[in-house]
This record gives sequence, structure tokens and C-alpha cells, in this order.
Amino acid sequence: MTPRFCLLVATLASCNTTTGSDLLSFGGSAGGTSAAGVPFTTGSGWDVTLDRARLHLGAVYLNENVPISGSGEQPCVLNGIYVAQLFGPLDLDLLSDALVAFPTSGQATETRARTAEVWLLEGDIDRTDDSTVILDLAGTASRNGVSYPFRGSVTIGTNRATPAPSLAMPGANPICRQRIVSPLAVDITPVEGGALTLRIDVRGMLNGLDFSLLTPDGAGYVIPDEAGGLGGALFNGLQASVGVYTVSWR
Amino acid sequence: MHRPSDRRDLPARTAISKLRNAAIAALLLVVTHARADEQLVAPQPIETPKAGYPNEAREHHKEGTTVVLVTIDVGGQVTAAEPVESAGDASLDEAALAAALKWKFKPATRAGRPIESQVKIPFHFHAHPAEGPHTDTPPSPSPSPSPSPSPSPSPSPSPTPTPTPDGPVAVDGPAGVEAPEKTPPVAADATVPSYESSVSGKRAPSRGASDYHVDVEKLSLVPRANATDFLKLAPGILITNEGGDGHAEQIFLRGFNAREGQDIEFSVDGMPINEPGNLHGNGYADLHFIIPELVQSLRVLEGPIDPRQGNFAVAGSVDYHLGLADRGVTAKFTVGSFGSYRLFLGWSPNGGQDGTFAAASLSQTNGFGQNRDGRQAAVIAQYEGHIGNNTTYRIFGQAFLSSYHTAGVLRDDDYRAGRVGFYGTNDPNQGEQSSRYSVAAHFQTRAGRVIFTNQLFGIARPLRIRANFTGYLLDGQEPLQTPHAQRGDLIDLSNMAWTVGARGSGRVSFKIKNQPQDIEVGYFARGDFVNSVQQRDSASTGHAYVTETNLDSKLGDIGLYADLNLRFARWLGLRGGLRGDLFTYDVHDNCAVQSVRTPAPDRPLNDASCLDQEGAGQHREPDQRTTTVGGAFLPRGSLLVGPWKGIGFTASAGKGVRSIDPAYVTQDGQTPFASINAYDGGIAFDRRFRDFVDVHARSVVFYTGVERDLIFSQTVGRNTLAGATSRVGSATNVRVTGPFFDVAANLTYVHATFDDTGLLIPYVPDFVLRADAALFGDLPGKRTRIWGKPIRAALAAGLTYVGPRPLPYGQRSDRIFTLDANATIGWWLFDFGLSIQNLLGAQYRLGEYNYASDFQTQGSPTLVPVRHFAAGAPRTVLFSIAINYGAKR
Repeated sequence: MTPRFCLLVATLASCNTTTGSDLLSFGGSAGGTSAAGVPFTTGSGWDVTLDRARLHLGAVYLNENVPISGSGEQPCVLNGIYVAQLFGPLDLDLLSDALVAFPTSGQATETRARTAEVWLLEGDIDRTDDSTVILDLAGTASRNGVSYPFRGSVTIGTNRATPAPSLAMPGANPICRQRIVSPLAVDITPVEGGALTLRIDVRGMLNGLDFSLLTPDGAGYVIPDEAGGLGGALFNGLQASVGVYTVSWR
Repeated sequence: MHRPSDRRDLPARTAISKLRNAAIAALLLVVTHARADEQLVAPQPIETPKAGYPNEAREHHKEGTTVVLVTIDVGGQVTAAEPVESAGDASLDEAALAAALKWKFKPATRAGRPIESQVKIPFHFHAHPAEGPHTDTPPSPSPSPSPSPSPSPSPSPSPTPTPTPDGPVAVDGPAGVEAPEKTPPVAADATVPSYESSVSGKRAPSRGASDYHVDVEKLSLVPRANATDFLKLAPGILITNEGGDGHAEQIFLRGFNAREGQDIEFSVDGMPINEPGNLHGNGYADLHFIIPELVQSLRVLEGPIDPRQGNFAVAGSVDYHLGLADRGVTAKFTVGSFGSYRLFLGWSPNGGQDGTFAAASLSQTNGFGQNRDGRQAAVIAQYEGHIGNNTTYRIFGQAFLSSYHTAGVLRDDDYRAGRVGFYGTNDPNQGEQSSRYSVAAHFQTRAGRVIFTNQLFGIARPLRIRANFTGYLLDGQEPLQTPHAQRGDLIDLSNMAWTVGARGSGRVSFKIKNQPQDIEVGYFARGDFVNSVQQRDSASTGHAYVTETNLDSKLGDIGLYADLNLRFARWLGLRGGLRGDLFTYDVHDNCAVQSVRTPAPDRPLNDASCLDQEGAGQHREPDQRTTTVGGAFLPRGSLLVGPWKGIGFTASAGKGVRSIDPAYVTQDGQTPFASINAYDGGIAFDRRFRDFVDVHARSVVFYTGVERDLIFSQTVGRNTLAGATSRVGSATNVRVTGPFFDVAANLTYVHATFDDTGLLIPYVPDFVLRADAALFGDLPGKRTRIWGKPIRAALAAGLTYVGPRPLPYGQRSDRIFTLDANATIGWWLFDFGLSIQNLLGAQYRLGEYNYASDFQTQGSPTLVPVRHFAAGAPRTVLFSIAINYGAKR
């Protein structure tokens, strides 16, 4: 539209009007934190030194819904309107500050987002089984002079299936929910030219672990890839909505 | 200053007197010839008082032609007269009107019985060329030109009275200016009084500059995909279609996204087309059953300003008038791009009965891209007859079948990434099967000075639509359901509607102070019995996995109106009245409960859609009946001032109503009608130049406010309630017709906003420009005649420009610019045509939308709104051959 034509149209009160908001594309990146690369103390008093911490990411979404606590019956795809999406897959070294760019641009609307979601798998999030290693870590935990060299990995397949609470509600715990970290509270309004940053602090994932319960396995101790026990605690840490994932816009 | 001189006026007086006598003689000859028709005989003038030449007009050299449309009752009296074309001077027009009202006729007859009729009388005000302008002409009465029937300088067709659906009979006379082939050459001194017809029949009184009576005439030569395309002849209309060729068109009018008819009242010769209670859209109107060749004219009334307009007349109303222009038997075969072919058969008797005809069409196409094949068949027949001297009746029947696949919408990012072609599809299960069967009977009878009109109609309307707007987005896991992945969002909607109804009126015409007045009271009544079910089908199995809606609706609507057509002076008229409508709803929801938060543990509901529990597992039946009633009173009126020098001014205001979608009815609740307030003011110009070029132009500014609007939701698959909205804009329309050309153009600008936020209403185009043009005639010269018969030729083109439309999220669509063209050549019984739609081969997007969808074309679910589009048709070439046999030529 030429400026002259626009001027004419503006005279007719059209050019400067809009339906509101905007559609935009944006870039994004994710990374760990260097603080996880040095010894740290977990919330339960364990001194931990991590040698390896890698995370597989599927996608990041922003939603305009306000986070609902105790959202036991929240569907995997939230009600409300999604504001932004940024697709992986992305494999991150959580011990490094270095940001890794997502492979493609994200899409967003210029709408205030109040909830973020980290989808740990790409593709069909409802598939029954999956062997993708989402989290892979190794290190040493010590307390009271006792050290536990450990390693562990997390997959989300049939090993994470949660039984239905009753026959009347067979779909109350779908597998897809295990693959989504949600809700993460944010207050972001995407704008053109901006970028999304996701920081993941692996330290927060270990707060609930009591390494003394580890059982030896050859070269060290293994956190089992299972729903209960230490494996369950690590998985809960992976899904923690507070203290692990920080989504920001710049 | 010259003084009046009887001696100088004498030659003019003598010449005019001779012409007048000759005209009367010719008319009588024509009328005599008409009798040979055995069907209809035109009215014969008995008393033809002269029009006085107003002194001031004479002194100022004012000349011109005023065409007056008069209505003649069965007694031969002129009951109404209306200037339809101005001489360009108010005093001349007034003089013509005054004279016309004094004319007396021997009434038109059919089979010897007198009938009401209409004729146009042109009053020519010209000075005699030998004398030049008469600035010294004596005052009236004077030997000024006076109107009278006259011979045409060229052979004229017989007058052929034409039955009209809602009024008296129009008569084709010897010098039809709107039918150029009938137009005589006009002499330089052009004091040729003539007696001509209305070629478009009796029309309802104009409601002002927003009232478009569109005679299709030669603009039928412009390529049109279907009957809906004729709407483009009225300003401000954009037609799109994301549902495919068999789906009802989405129509935008004056800032309204009328979807498939929710905001426009559609009818065909008075029989309603809108479908209350249609689940896809309350008021859904599918016009595909109308065979395009039968569209003779349409009345597009933009805004609710006529008391006759009923439910859904929010943005306005459209009434199609059907007939068959080609008399005798016509057969036409068309073949062209994408494996398309079409056969049309039509028949109408000679003798001028537009009201009797039969036509059928059969077509098939592979479509211009993936999943766009379709088949269609339609039959329409009507018979017109008479009972006694005063009653005319018409019996109408129609059947229509169509079956189409549709491509649906595509994601723009998929297209740009090469994941899908521009004319591709994401879901080949989309399509539509649509049928319509209807019968109607129309009666018109005269009792004294009152004309009674009644119409009965019955409609059966099966419809199934399968559409997928969102891919695999909406089938989220619910706690009650067995664990599942997304099964697909394919909407499978079936709608079966039965409609019975009637409409009628009584109209009385009289004069006050020699000014014609009309009073009409009328009614409209319809009952709709609708079963509508919407399910979602699994992409993998094709089986329905959930029922979203299952309604049995009984909907009633009775409307009464009174309409006054008052003329206080020749230049001042008031038309309008009051309408009242009562709507009743009886909705049986067979699937009233679809979710229970705490079902009984021992009675799992699992995947059932229509549940029989409520909170805490208590039993309830899955159905629910809801009844309510609502009424509306709707004042409407138009003030008409002028014309002067062909220019008139109008102002109109009115309230409209749209009944509520049965899905939103609550028990005894305040029925949430959409209440509409519309205002407009306009200027109209109607004038004839050189006695053969007619110019009609009008420009309107308008405001429309809607208290509660409807906006289409792709996720729900139908219209959903929204807030209040307003539209401000202007529309300008020009049509110029002559002996060998017919040109029309219109331009509309509109600013449509939500009242609460001031934001634009998405999808409504700001600017719409449409132009249609046709050139036609016999090729000149003797060498172009074969066996003495001329070769006919015509060229026609239609151009559409739609400015970038606002889309949700601050976006604008691409502009649309298309050009369609048609060339035909004909000789004797045969016509050959070449039609090219989208001549420039533009790859354009007919519709664009912003919303979220997930067609599983990317690595992770796509949940954010993005651009979608429905592809417009590429260049389409069609060849046709037609033969018309049995028509009097």
C-alpha cells in the first residue's frame, strides 16, 4: 500500500485500525546453568557434583491461561488459547550456560501469556511407549562423608503409566501428562523481534532425592528408570514446575 | 426577451400533433398485432392528455425525456404513476407525471379477461428543430410537445404483457429502451413520443438509494459460477467459499460477514431460502438449487428498511426473480477445464408468459485440485394460469441434488514449506451432500380496488456436511474417556429440515390530491421442523466417535406488517411502516449431558457422548426439552425527495432481527435476539440521454449497529455469540445501458468494529470493487449475414477487486483481483461460447483465516493461531454450444 493511498485510506479511518494483537515469528534458545557444573548442595542436604546432565526437549509452549494449582484433571492440551510455540527437538548440556538455538523459528501471537509448558517429547505425545532418553545424568552425591557415585536416566513410556483412579475415570491419568512440564508461571507478551529463552537448572531436579537409598550396581549406583522410589523422585524433579525451568523473553 | 408568439409556435404544434396521431395509430396497430398472440393484449390508451410545457422550462431551453411508469387497473384507470427516469428538470418531470395520471386506457387482457398492467410512458420535451429553442414560447396550454403513443421509426415487437409475481402485468411495448434491440433510432429532432414497457415487471416501490432492483439482462453474459454470483451486481458484496463448490457461499455485505446467510434474508420469488435451526449456521442459505439461466432479476435491499423484510434481514435481503429469457426450447452443453461438463435444458412457451417455464441442469467436474470433484442436478418448473378474470396463479416445483468433495482450508506454513500444494488438501474425507425439494403456489386476485396476494410453500431440505477446520486439535483426553490419542476433528453434520409456510398481502391504491398512494398489510408465517446432529469422525476408521449436538427443533415465526406508500407531492414521498414478528422455539436436546465431573464409580460412562448421569452419579435422562418465545417490533421507513434533474435524495431507517440459534435457547429465558438498527442516506441519479442511453447511479452512506453479533468459530464449526458491533460505510453503484452495451460498476467501503474495543471485525473487507460489462449486437454489414440471418456477437467481462481484509491478530489478507471474460457468437438457432474465469490465471486466496489447527504435518502439535487459506479457482476455460428452437424471432 503506497503512502499516498494509505493516507487516503487513513482519511477514511481504516489504515490505523486493527483487529488487535499480531502474529509473529521469533527465535528461541535454551541452556543449562554453569552453577550446576560446580558442586552444590541440594535441598535435602546432599552435596552433589555432576559430571553429566543432558536433557532432551520436545517443544515449548506459552498459553494465556493463568496456571491452575492442583490441576489434577487438566487435559494435556490446555483449554484457552496458546500464545506461542517453539519446536525442538533439542538436546542440552545442563551444566553449561551456553544457549542452544531451537532449530526452527517459533510462532506466536502478541498476547499476554501466563503459563508456559515444556514438552519433553516431540511428535505424538499420546504414544503409549517411548524409549527416548529424556534426562541423562551422572555425578557424585555425598553427605556425612559418604559418597555415592551415581548415574541415571529417565524415559517416559509404559514405565510412567499411572493407573486410573477408578473405572469411571479411565482417562484421568493419560501418558501425555507425564511428558509435559506444566504449569510454569510466566508473564510474557511476545513482540516482534523478541526471543524466548529457557533456562533449566538441573539442581532443582535433585532436591527430592535421598541418595542413601541407592543400590550399588557395578561401577556405582544407578537411579532406576521407574515410577516409584528414587526413579520416581527424579522424575518428579524433572517435572517440577518451580525451581527448575525459567522462561523469559528478551 | 422574446415575447410569446402564436404564429411561431404553430409549426411545432402541427408537427407534434401529427406525430401524436401517428403514434396513437401505431400503438393501435401494435395492440392489434398483440391480439394475434391469443394470450395477452396490451392496454390501449383511450385518453392521452397532453403534458403542459412549463413556462420556466421553456424559457430556459430545457428539454429532455421523462419516463413515467404507470400502473393500470382492470378498469383502465391509472392507479399509480412514478417517474423512473428524469428529464433533468423537476418541472418537466412534474408535468409528465401530472399528465400520466390523467391517462385512461382500455385495460390489458389475457384470453379476453382484463388484467392489471404496467407501462412506461416517455414524455419528450423538445423544441422543434426548425425553430430552435423557444425562449418566447407562450404559456401553456401551448403547442408544446405532448406525449402520445407513436410509431417507432423501426419495426417494433408486439406488446407482450408479462405476468409478474407480486403485482400487475408489465407490457413489452414497441420501444423498449431497456431492451436495446427494440430501441428505435432516434431522430435528431427526437420529438418521437412513444409508448414503452417495463421490461422487469411490477416492482415494489423503491425504498431509496439502498434498494437495488437489478435486471440481469445482458450482464448475464458475464461468466458466473452459479446463481449466487449475480449478487455481485449489487454493491458491497463479496462471495467466498471455504467449503467447496457444493457448499453455500459465504457472503459479505456492507460490513457483515453474513456467513452462509445468517445476516441476509434470501428468497426466490417470495419463497424463503434461509434455514432457521440449521446447525452449521442459523439461517444457512444454499442458493445452488437456482439454475443460473433462470435468474432474470434480483432485488437487493441493503439494510432492514422495508416492513416486508423478515427474519435474518440484518445486512439486508435478496429476492431472486426467475424466468427464462429464451423462449421455446433451449439446449446448452458446456465442456471445459478439469473434466467439467454441464447440460442445460430449458423450455418456455412463446406468448410472453414469463411465469411458465421448465428447466433442468446436470453437471459434473473433477475439480481444480485435490478432492474437489462434484456432481449436481437441478430441475425447476413453474406454470402460470388464471382463474376467472381476476385471479392469476403460479405453481412452482423444484428439486436439487448435489454431492461434492471439498479440499477445505490449508495452513499457510504447510504450503510455504512444500508440505501441501496450493490446490491440495489435508483431509480427503471432507465433502457435502445437499438436496432441496420445494413446491409453492402463488395466487393473486383482485377484489375491487384491493389486490390480494397469497403464497403457500413447502420445503424439504436434507444436508450433510463433513468439514475439518482444525485437523487433530480438539479431541483432548477427558477423564471419563478411555485413553486415546487425537482421533481427528472431522465434523460430520447432518441436518434435515421440513418447512411449511405462507405469506400474503392486501394492497389498496388510491389518490389524494392527484397523488398516488398505497397501503399494504401482509403476513408471513412459517414452521420449521429440524433434526440436526453434529458428530466428529475418526480419521482412521471413519466412524463417529463423539456426538456433540443432537437437536430436534420446532421453530415458528409469524410476522405481520403494515406498509404505507405515501406521496405528498411529486417530489416528496414517505414509504414505510411497522412489522412485528413472534418467534417460538421448542428444542428437544437429545444429548443434553456430555460431561460429568464425578460419575458413579460403579457405573462408568467411558466413551458415551450423551450421558445419563449428573453430579455425584445421580441418574438423569440424557435429553432435555427447552421452550421459549420472543417477539420483536420493527419500525422501518424511507423518505424520498425529488427527483430534480434526475437527482433524488433518500433517507432510510429501520430495525431488523435475527432469531436465535436453537443451540442457544434457554427455558423461558429472554430470547437473545440480535437486534439491528440501520440508518442510511443516499443520492440517486436516473436519467436517459439521447433517448437510448440510460444512466442509473446512486451513492449511499450507512450505519448499522448490531446488539449481539455472531462470529464463526472454526473450533466449534459454527457461529458463536459475540458482542455488539457497528458498521459505517458507503456504497456507490453505476449502471449505464445502451443499444449495444451494458456496463455496471460498484464500489463499497466499510468500517466494521466491535463496540466495546473499537477493534475491527475480522474478515470483513474494507473495499470491494466490482465491474461488469457487456458488448453485444448483430455484426454490421450484409456480408455478415448468412442466408439472410445476422450473426450475433457478444463480449462480456467481470472484474473483482477486494482490498486486504482484516484478519484476527492484526493481520491483513492478500488482495483479490480477478477478471472473467466471455465471448459468444450466434447465428440463427445456434450460439457458441467461450468463457474464461480467472482470465489472468491469478493464484489467489479466496478466503484467509487465522486460528489454531494441527494437521499433524509438523514434528509437534501446532497449537498457536496461524494463517490458513482456501484456494480460489485457477484459470478455467469452458466452451459451450447452445441451440434455441421454437422461439419467435
